[in-house]
Amino acid sequence: MSDTDRPGSAERAERVEAAKPSVPAPAGEAAKPSVPAPAGEAAVPAKAADAAPVPPGGTEPAKAASEAARPGRVAGVRQGPPWRRPRAYLWVALSLLLLALPFYLDRFWLQAGLFAMAAAIGAIGINLLTGATGQLSMGHAFFLAIGAYGYCVLAGGNDVESGHELAGLGLPTWLAAVLAVLLAGLAGGVFSPIAGRLRGAYLGIATLALIFVGQHVLFNARDLTGGFNGRSVPPLSLFGFEFDDSELLVAAVPFQSMEKLWYAALVALLVCGLFARGVLRSRPGRAMNALRDHRIAAGVMGVPVARYRAAVFVLSSMYAGLAGVLLALIFQRTVPEYFGMILSLEYLAMIVIGGLGTVAGAVVGAIFVSLLPQVLTRWSDALPLVSAPGTGGVSPGEASRYLYGAAVVAVVLFLPGGLTRLVPSPREKK
Amino acid sequence: MSATTTTAIAPLVVEEVTVRFAGLTALDGVSFTVEPGSVHAVIGPNGAGKSTTFNVLSGVYRATEGSVRFGDDELTGLPPHRIAALGVARTFQNIALPPHVTVADSLLLGRHRLTRTGFVAAGLRLPSAAREERRHRERVAEIAEFVGLADDLDRPAGELPYGKQKLVELARALCMEPRILLLDEPVAGMTADERRQTAAVVAGVRDSLGISIVLVEHDMGVVMRLADAVTVLDFGRRIAGGTPAQVQGDPAVVQAYLGTEATP
Ligand SMILES: Nc1ncnc2c1ncn2[C@@H]1O[C@H](COP(=O)(O)OP(=O)(O)OP(=O)(O)O)[C@@H](O)[C@H]1O
Ligand SMILES: [Mg+2]
Repeated sequence: MSDTDRPGSAERAERVEAAKPSVPAPAGEAAKPSVPAPAGEAAVPAKAADAAPVPPGGTEPAKAASEAARPGRVAGVRQGPPWRRPRAYLWVALSLLLLALPFYLDRFWLQAGLFAMAAAIGAIGINLLTGATGQLSMGHAFFLAIGAYGYCVLAGGNDVESGHELAGLGLPTWLAAVLAVLLAGLAGGVFSPIAGRLRGAYLGIATLALIFVGQHVLFNARDLTGGFNGRSVPPLSLFGFEFDDSELLVAAVPFQSMEKLWYAALVALLVCGLFARGVLRSRPGRAMNALRDHRIAAGVMGVPVARYRAAVFVLSSMYAGLAGVLLALIFQRTVPEYFGMILSLEYLAMIVIGGLGTVAGAVVGAIFVSLLPQVLTRWSDALPLVSAPGTGGVSPGEASRYLYGAAVVAVVLFLPGGLTRLVPSPREKK
Repeated sequence: MSATTTTAIAPLVVEEVTVRFAGLTALDGVSFTVEPGSVHAVIGPNGAGKSTTFNVLSGVYRATEGSVRFGDDELTGLPPHRIAALGVARTFQNIALPPHVTVADSLLLGRHRLTRTGFVAAGLRLPSAAREERRHRERVAEIAEFVGLADDLDRPAGELPYGKQKLVELARALCMEPRILLLDEPVAGMTADERRQTAAVVAGVRDSLGISIVLVEHDMGVVMRLADAVTVLDFGRRIAGGTPAQVQGDPAVVQAYLGTEATP
């Protein structure tokens, strides 16, 4: 703040003169006459045209010249046709593999794979909330439980199971599945006034309450949940097709529930993944990331902070709800202990390990965290220290918890951005 | 709501605004008026309350007392996004740009209030969403061109030199098609070249759009060159105001900057 910073007025005028030409489209002489109509109109009709238009970035020739200078940006040269992209082949190969797996894998691995797919859907949900929006949730297991139990109650009949009388609405199972997802969303909506007001870690603490309340209800509302023993899950039937254990021969391979569910889960995961990607890559995703990175700036840019946080919370709950429905169908029985804090932590571990804020990160992390215990179980005798459950030594479940605990620490320390960062993928971050 | 974007530029009237933090009065009965279409500079030594003023104007802080009116709208008490919806845009003294996000995407955030695409349309990739996105990307490119960022649209903001990042912030604010633009130290940390370029952009915005600009800046060269009116703050109080020439000669201002003693 010295006096040398205050030039006299003569010098001032001179500086402005010197400065003006250095702006690409100074909107002075050249652009001004053309301000009102053509260029602005063409570019942004309705809304922005009645909002005061910034000097339209230059006349046609100027624009053409600037585009010529940046060939890469014009006409989607970046990607080229699908058959020219090596990535496309990779995707085709992967899809074929996934479609073929039920013909080759045994029930154990199919169930493990299905479990990973259901987890991936739940992980995408929490990654939308925690990874992309920066809102920590410890309550994901609660919404998974709503999906799982919601489906059982809506689809189940009034049965007697191991001495308990269970209530159920006996709705068509596909409808029950849809309603269970909506129910999870509704539960998220009920909690959303809190989810909208609290940020980051504070929300994490508040959502802990959901776990405790949720598990208490699961253990005690015996008529609905079956209490400690849980509740059996009615198999899904869709357009008259039963996803149950009745055998269906496909190309000489007997298809039971796992084989059939495999395809339903693949479709569900694909739809959920594409939906989330669409969200993340356009307007809502940009607003969500802004809430995470610069909350105050996001508000100032016009993002309704509380409303957005609440909306993402509801969306994330619905993903959890669908994951819960699938988990129920895969396990064919829901039990209350499963939906505890550990489960919430596992989902957080998935997105940290896989990569925060992206669909790919959620999927990779879900596969890692949910397949690790299965791999250890299957090959427990071949691994040092790990032994079959109940025989002393480290059980596979425990061993896998140590392993992904270590993985979380390793990723946070050495690979911020998660496993998905290992694959170099220019411009493919979401 | 959208009607406000079509009305003419309105005066911004700040009246007796006081902001207190626990035990500290950051603003003490400050009043000034930004005339429509003018560049109004707010200057003062460090800690004078300039950024606090901006935070009140944009709804980030709530005034303890006093009022801010923009045309017919009372801004005091509104949340930031409602104020943004009235056409108030600002930049931040400390750059608030995500480093890994491309410049184009950062600028598109500025279009938030002018766009509609919600979760369902985005998730289902409805054609309306794609159309809207394309249209607004074109507009963003125009604005980038105007500010001098046309070649940087596809680069992550964090890769740009500091001065350019400040320009991105300015461009993002312009992307909101504001009726009033609040710039908090837009040329701080810039090279002489970048300063000149930024000053020219600001002058260009005023000349071609006729919107009001409130400018907080320590660079007196830029202030004196651009400002139509100046308000001087010191320790949260308005100690002088007027044209740049008037303010420059004001003994209270000289004293505040030299820091000899408090103003009488
Ligand atoms: N959130 C806050 N909590 C407490 N005190 C604050 C807060 N924000 C600002 N202050 C105080 O208010 C006073 C004015 O700060 P302000 O940031 O408005 O100054 P400034 O004029 O912008 O200064 P500079 O030129 O350094 O940017 C300072 O004493 C600052 O410490
Ligand atoms: Mg400041």
